[in-house]
Amino acid sequence: MGLSASKQPPAKLSIWLKVLLIALVVVLNGYAIIAMYANGEFAFALLTLVIVASGVYVFTSKKTYAHRYIFPGIAGMVVFIIFPLVYTIGISFTNYSATNLLTFNQVLQQFESKTYTDDSGAFKFGLYQRGEDFEIIVEQGELLYSTGPIELDSQSAVSIAHELSVLNAKPSEKPLAIKAVIQNKDALDKLILVTPNEQELVRKGLREFAGIKPLFTPLLQDGQSSYSLPNGETITSEFAKLNVKDGRILIPNMETGYFQYLDDQGELTGRGLKPGFTVGVGWEHFKRVLTDEGIKQPFVQIFVWTVIFATCAVVFTLAIGMLLACLVQWEELKGRAIYRVLLILPYAVPAFISILVFKGLFNQNFGEINMILGNLFGISPAWFTDPVLAKSMILIVNTWLGYPYMMILCMGMLKSIPDDLYEASAMDGAGPITNFFNITVPLLMKPLAPLLIASFAFNFNNFVLIDLLTGGLPDIIGASTPAGETDLLVSYTYRIAFQGDGGNNYGLASAIATLIFLVVGALALLNLRIMKKNAN
Amino acid sequence: MPMVQPKSIKYRKLATHLGMIVFLALIIFPLLMVIAISFRTGNFAVGDIIPSNPTLDHWRLAIGMDVVAADGSVTPPPFPVLLWLWNSIKVAGIAAILIVVLSTTCAYAFARMKFRGKATLLNGMLIFQMFPSVLALVAIYALFNKIGDYVPWLGLNTHGGLILAYLGGIALHVWTIKGYFETIDPALEESAAIDGASPWQAFRLILLPLSVPILAVVFILAFIGVVTEVPMASVLISDINNMTLAVGSQLYFNPQNILWGDFAAAAVLSGFPITVVFLMAQRYLVSGLTAGGVKG
Amino acid sequence: MANVSLNAVRKNYDETLHKDTLRNINLDIKEGEFIVFVGPSGCGKSTLLRMIAGLEDITSGELKIGDSYMNDVPPVERNVGMVFQSYALYPHMDLRENMSFGLKLKKMDAATIKKRVDNASDILGLDPLLERKPKELSGGQRQRVAIGRCIVQQPNVFLFDEPLSNLDAALRVKMRIEIAKLHKELQSTIIYVTHDQVEAMTLADKIVVLSPLDEGADSNLEQFGSPLDLYHNPDNKFVAGFIGSPKMNFVDATLVEINAKDCVVELITGERVTAAVDANRAKVGDAVQLGIRPEHLVESEHEHAQSKVTGIVQVTEHLGSESFVYMDVKGCDFTFKARPEFPAEAGDQLTVGIPTNACYLFDENELAFQRTAKYNRGA
Repeated sequence: MGLSASKQPPAKLSIWLKVLLIALVVVLNGYAIIAMYANGEFAFALLTLVIVASGVYVFTSKKTYAHRYIFPGIAGMVVFIIFPLVYTIGISFTNYSATNLLTFNQVLQQFESKTYTDDSGAFKFGLYQRGEDFEIIVEQGELLYSTGPIELDSQSAVSIAHELSVLNAKPSEKPLAIKAVIQNKDALDKLILVTPNEQELVRKGLREFAGIKPLFTPLLQDGQSSYSLPNGETITSEFAKLNVKDGRILIPNMETGYFQYLDDQGELTGRGLKPGFTVGVGWEHFKRVLTDEGIKQPFVQIFVWTVIFATCAVVFTLAIGMLLACLVQWEELKGRAIYRVLLILPYAVPAFISILVFKGLFNQNFGEINMILGNLFGISPAWFTDPVLAKSMILIVNTWLGYPYMMILCMGMLKSIPDDLYEASAMDGAGPITNFFNITVPLLMKPLAPLLIASFAFNFNNFVLIDLLTGGLPDIIGASTPAGETDLLVSYTYRIAFQGDGGNNYGLASAIATLIFLVVGALALLNLRIMKKNAN
Repeated sequence: MPMVQPKSIKYRKLATHLGMIVFLALIIFPLLMVIAISFRTGNFAVGDIIPSNPTLDHWRLAIGMDVVAADGSVTPPPFPVLLWLWNSIKVAGIAAILIVVLSTTCAYAFARMKFRGKATLLNGMLIFQMFPSVLALVAIYALFNKIGDYVPWLGLNTHGGLILAYLGGIALHVWTIKGYFETIDPALEESAAIDGASPWQAFRLILLPLSVPILAVVFILAFIGVVTEVPMASVLISDINNMTLAVGSQLYFNPQNILWGDFAAAAVLSGFPITVVFLMAQRYLVSGLTAGGVKG
Repeated sequence: MANVSLNAVRKNYDETLHKDTLRNINLDIKEGEFIVFVGPSGCGKSTLLRMIAGLEDITSGELKIGDSYMNDVPPVERNVGMVFQSYALYPHMDLRENMSFGLKLKKMDAATIKKRVDNASDILGLDPLLERKPKELSGGQRQRVAIGRCIVQQPNVFLFDEPLSNLDAALRVKMRIEIAKLHKELQSTIIYVTHDQVEAMTLADKIVVLSPLDEGADSNLEQFGSPLDLYHNPDNKFVAGFIGSPKMNFVDATLVEINAKDCVVELITGERVTAAVDANRAKVGDAVQLGIRPEHLVESEHEHAQSKVTGIVQVTEHLGSESFVYMDVKGCDFTFKARPEFPAEAGDQLTVGIPTNACYLFDENELAFQRTAKYNRGA
């Protein structure tokens, strides 16, 4: 279509509006990108840069008129699917976790803003009621300062600074009792009082405010390029800190992601100060998956179960779905329409509801399934604690959930098999079973193949089923991360990342996720190839 | 034209009917059970399939009413089910509308325009759609944490953020709509162009009115998809009042206190409308469901 | 109403492939003429029409409608009306809405729109159908609506893209006559694309014959002229073969004698044929092809049977009003349109007569030699 030929020149005003809008977008995002870059968040800066730059190009260049239509959708995919994918792979090479959550700069800032109260400069203080507000008066020898009436806000998330002004004489009335100080403790802790000579005071105890000083100062003073330790070694790191209080030297350990103190011999000591920061650890997590028995053993076990589950899921749902599709397409059968609607029912009910329903029905103590089994056979299987039974339960539930989809697919494809094939086979004397295996199945398999692979990939990653039904339980014994007998790789990954007791090891979880990406990627490519082949 | 059939077909039909009925009984049993349980007294009592002394207590709790027991003790509703339902409908409704808009414009370009990298983009979209978002949740969490720093109403624990997250998954819908557009004669838009319509007018006045059926299908599929989505919602939303139904429902299964009857009522209440809509539209939905298998 | 002129127009869908669809098209279409683009599929005739409409851009060359340069003008400003092969009626609008859609887009007032639509539906006999949707109409009615939608626009040029190809044979003849009548009535310029040479011959004031572009050919415009001119004086073998039904017979031959007004050739069968063509630009001994239309062949005893050719009968078709005898003349397919119930059995050896004045002759490059006479079969 010669759509480009039918474009009309826009009016002048709209051109200017467009230029203005684009300029605004560029400036705002440019600022955000620089801010992110300065914060050390390269990934987000790069993402914003790519999206904004391509957006501006697409919406300004004449050559990319068609791309304007697809840009929002593609951008959505890039930001919410592809970027998280790449970012996850990136995380797998770091020690990102609950303990090493922050960036180096953030941790550095935390240490730099750490303070200690200086005993020498303590001020006594009194709290006075001034209507709704309060006045704080501090004194040290000759010095007497007042905040004036201020509001005490214990809800504030940040510290509130107040300038102190010189007071000539103490007020005549007595300050409020200690009780009032205790009541307003939280609010008082938020205060930073600044004396006229710029000294900052914070509350220290129930009667005193004291001056605060930074706990850490740079080890290397201006112009200094290295610091020699007593044992002759030198420190050149610009991030090395001196603890003012006890004179110890603190340097960041870029291998472990913690700040650590040096001992007298110049060696790193202790486990490092919290919080830790995120550093690259290379192939560490992948090595652990392959060598650490506490991870390797459950990983392999879960991988095998995942493949078995996905295969069984596809085979069972396909077998039942295909058979039912043939039956409801059988013209001789009365009431086909009703059967069809009822058979689709499990698919129509939202999965999260039906899975939870099964979770209740299979409950060992009061679930209706065990009640019936108990009445009939006097047994009460432990569906959630016995690994084999738990796995069977998952397959039963999944088959219930999944066969209608296969049935719908097969019904559509059965229509495309010409009737005369069955007429011809009837002439040859074939019965329904011969027909099913010699005509229907082979003819359905080819168009079904890509859908089956997609279904395999879906079940390979069927997180919702596992998460809602068993949560992966029962646990595998001897695993060093949360890992269950019924966990699939995805739910295993999810638990490593998000279940508190595993230490939120995002790095390790991402490494396993990366391995799953490889599997899914291979399946996706295979799928595409088969679709291409089918089309030819 | 029906073929002449052998005698044995009578028995075959009978066997099929029998088999069907047994199978359906098994399949529908859980659904009937959950309805029965929602009327049964208490959360633990084991009872019959048809409750012996039915009660509406669970339903009262599900729609947010207090239940006053005989001894005067008041049971407040355990969870804000109606609020969750409203959250689900709100998030799914807005997300589905945006998904339809985004995938329609995308599909229009893919179906009607020539541009560089078209085939690559289409295939790429299909491939990336297969990667489960569960695996990238850490990254998605970090991403929304970051977005929240700049645009608070799109950050963590907001419905805006959740809706935004769902906008990434449009590939299959793009394929569905694109397939439909391709069945519409391009001469219609060319004719409109000769009649004086701009590309936008041709799209808006000719193509869109003709595509209402498929857009409705995509809307319903996207809506159901969002309502039933669990992992993304459970990671992004942490406040109980912001939860969607799919996330909140799990709270009934606290191992210390399983509210089986209350859950049943809430499940029937919220699951029923979706089930009915799906069943009514199922004939039309099939085309959308199988879109992944069509080649373009 | 306006002239349309094309000057060295070229179309290339993908410059990287260096494969032109159309090359060096020069046409001068006069106001009010009915022009038909005809050619086999893949010759670019629809592309050429769409370029005039503005639905395809012009790779190079120049298009003028009236006196204005149109290459970069959007379709709506070219003031053309187009009838599509699929009719392209808007399915969600009734006929009145279909016809007034373009006028509404041009912000015409309601009274004018109504007047124009009523007028058009009057001409086309669509009055009782105006409230219906396209899918409630028959093929012929849809066809008329599509034409009506053009008429209301009062375009300078009507463009028809194979408008009859979706109709059955009987309806096609009927609509063909209606379109011819319409042209008489409106007196507007019409450009009409078809692959059916009968439509072309019956409708056109002038025909443009296009061929699929050969690599290295200078142009794929084969000939531009009146229908009878194309029939009697085709410029080349392609046009000669394309115009006329059944197709013209061709036999390989060698020039053996050249005179002022005629020449003699020796066919591959060894038979000699005298042809009324001016072959003076060639020389004796040159390889040529003799062309003879099936309807011009006569029985061997006929008075016009100045030359003869012999072949083996393959199949005979008796149509009642006439017979077609398909023969094999030393490897060349040969069709003879004979009188009804002409006796010929498969395997028979048959000799037919070739009138001197009915011969066409083509040189090695398939260009025609000038004919010096016009064949008149007589009663």
